[in-house]
Amino acid sequence: MMDRSYKELLKMRRFPHTWCPGCGIGAVLKNVAMVLKELGWNHQNTVAVSGIGCSGRMSGYMNLDAVHTPHGRALTAAEAIKTARPDLNVVVLSGDGDLASIGGNHLLHTSRRNPDITVFCNDNEIYGLTGGQAGPTTPKGTKTITSSRGEPFSPLRLGRILTSQAPYFYARTTVYHLNHLKTCIREAVLWKGFSFVDIISDCIELNGRRLGFKTAHQMFKWFDERFHIVEGERDHLREDELGIAKTEAEEVPKPMEKVEIKPKVPVEGLKPFTLDELQRFDGTGEKPIYIAYKGKVYDLSASPLFQGEKRMRCHIAGKDLTKDIDIAPHGEDLIFKFPVVGRLK
Amino acid sequence: MRRLISGNEAIFQGAIRAGASYFAGYPISPTSEILQQASLHSEENPEFRFLQAEDEIAAAIATISASLAGAKAFTATSGPGFSLMQEALGWGHVVEAPCVFVNSMRVGPSTGMPTQPAQADLLQIKGGTAGDYYPIAFYPNSVEECFRLTITAFNAAEESLSPVILLADAFLSHLYEVVDLQAIDAEVLPREKEPLGKSQRLFTGTVHDKMGNVKTNDPETYRAWLSELKDRHQRVAKKYPLFEYLPCQDSSVLLIAFGITSRILSPLKNRFSVFRPIRIFPLLEENLKEVTQPYRDIIVVEGSNGQYAGWVEWAIGRRVLRVPCLGGGFKFQWIQHQIEEQLRGGRG
Repeated sequence: MMDRSYKELLKMRRFPHTWCPGCGIGAVLKNVAMVLKELGWNHQNTVAVSGIGCSGRMSGYMNLDAVHTPHGRALTAAEAIKTARPDLNVVVLSGDGDLASIGGNHLLHTSRRNPDITVFCNDNEIYGLTGGQAGPTTPKGTKTITSSRGEPFSPLRLGRILTSQAPYFYARTTVYHLNHLKTCIREAVLWKGFSFVDIISDCIELNGRRLGFKTAHQMFKWFDERFHIVEGERDHLREDELGIAKTEAEEVPKPMEKVEIKPKVPVEGLKPFTLDELQRFDGTGEKPIYIAYKGKVYDLSASPLFQGEKRMRCHIAGKDLTKDIDIAPHGEDLIFKFPVVGRLK
Repeated sequence: MRRLISGNEAIFQGAIRAGASYFAGYPISPTSEILQQASLHSEENPEFRFLQAEDEIAAAIATISASLAGAKAFTATSGPGFSLMQEALGWGHVVEAPCVFVNSMRVGPSTGMPTQPAQADLLQIKGGTAGDYYPIAFYPNSVEECFRLTITAFNAAEESLSPVILLADAFLSHLYEVVDLQAIDAEVLPREKEPLGKSQRLFTGTVHDKMGNVKTNDPETYRAWLSELKDRHQRVAKKYPLFEYLPCQDSSVLLIAFGITSRILSPLKNRFSVFRPIRIFPLLEENLKEVTQPYRDIIVVEGSNGQYAGWVEWAIGRRVLRVPCLGGGFKFQWIQHQIEEQLRGGRG
């Protein structure tokens, strides 16, 4: 007999659910619940986060503490929860419109920061809840209620975006390939770091019928024609491939380090100046503009910034400016460009 | 130890004293220093978590989410960033997330005048997100008060189970004063709301009943929820009826000013009575009625074109005179001249 214990993770009292008959979301929710149950994840160690849309209602059916965020913000919320409470497992259950369109900026940046969260994207290539408008993943040429002559733009290729920067985990599967779906969910959950499962799903009522499909099953057969499963470790997936693309962190080049520029002129043998003597060279009359820096006296007469009032903002000519330059936003290399005329006694 | 510190630093230190363990933010003048301080603090204290988010939308959502996860959380921004945070602010009220939003105001709308001080985000904080809600907002006028009121804001957040707004202005954020923070004693309320990872609740921005069941077709559920929210906020606000009233015996004129304008006006306190609201919202309705009653003329001096003055008129039921200090112009002589002009005009 089939193991039905995964139902402990679902709020069965809230059933029947809100989704249309034939919708793929049920398969996503059930398989996620099955995997979490197998791994022993429950309400004491796991939080589910969703955005807005049909698929955004998924977290509300999980028997966990669930967070239902404003539209597009599921990833940000999940990352913050994981950051504030690293002991909790965090899963995101949402849709393609929520994650890739209104939440697109968060998708780029949360994946870049690589928090240890798992994202399940119910990718039905349409805005279903609002009635069937073209979405970010709607294939070019698809007729929707906001693209009656066919969607004019190419879809966002989530697989390419999410595999552009290591480390990454990107899996593509469908609600028709159930064993593959479950494998992808399990591997994603076990992945340390940001993992994203792109689950191609059907919306028969608000997309499929307009495309000419009579039943959800006809859409599943269409998925079977469009995609094929590829086995083994991959770095990338082609657009017609179902599988897992993953890469561990790559060697990061060292961040830029401050280069010390040393003045070439040695201190010995330079003309000594006292502070009083230095003060006389403040640029008044025909006198040159001298300033001292780290024991050396520089001639700044050629500096265009020291003309006029014989000062550059708060830097006054004829003074020891070591402290000023050390806290200035520019570096000391600006000073080294000028000729050394002496040293400070 | 007495130290020269800025308003921004006092706000950050106030948050730490209040037990904050999470900060999310996005760089914006004049609160970038708070972001910087949070970053430095997190490097030295790993239990303090820090996120430099990709935008203010993410910063605000992260703040509320971290609060739900159990952390005392806060964020800081200025007017343009606060506009982006409105969505999260509404969400925070519905999911009952105690946290603090700092808004140090600069001249707007839009990018406005970076970074000249203003006080023109009052309407934005009062009603900037969708629907009805009853935000609590405090506005200090000194560096020491920045520290104290940040703690008050955190306490009020824990009690009201909502985001509480701490206002400042570009002037106050960058004002340096000598303060001994260690010597300041302040009560800190603990977190009582149960964090995530304990039960099977649903935290949703959709209207729901006490059990977390979504109710999108039931006016009764909504009305009960809104009235509970209003009662809770009014009860908390009542605990903090914060204002400063300096009566001047011979004066028939009352100046109303808050934040940095009240500091600039302080040389006039021997000529006019001065009322300074500290709790900006919910409006100090009763106190305003009582205080303004004996005065012939009431002049609201503020860094906006009458945003607070309008609320005062609404509360006391009569016209007030206005001195709007616009475009970052907060010069004492100019304000004094305007007050005299207003009084001359007011006498006909």
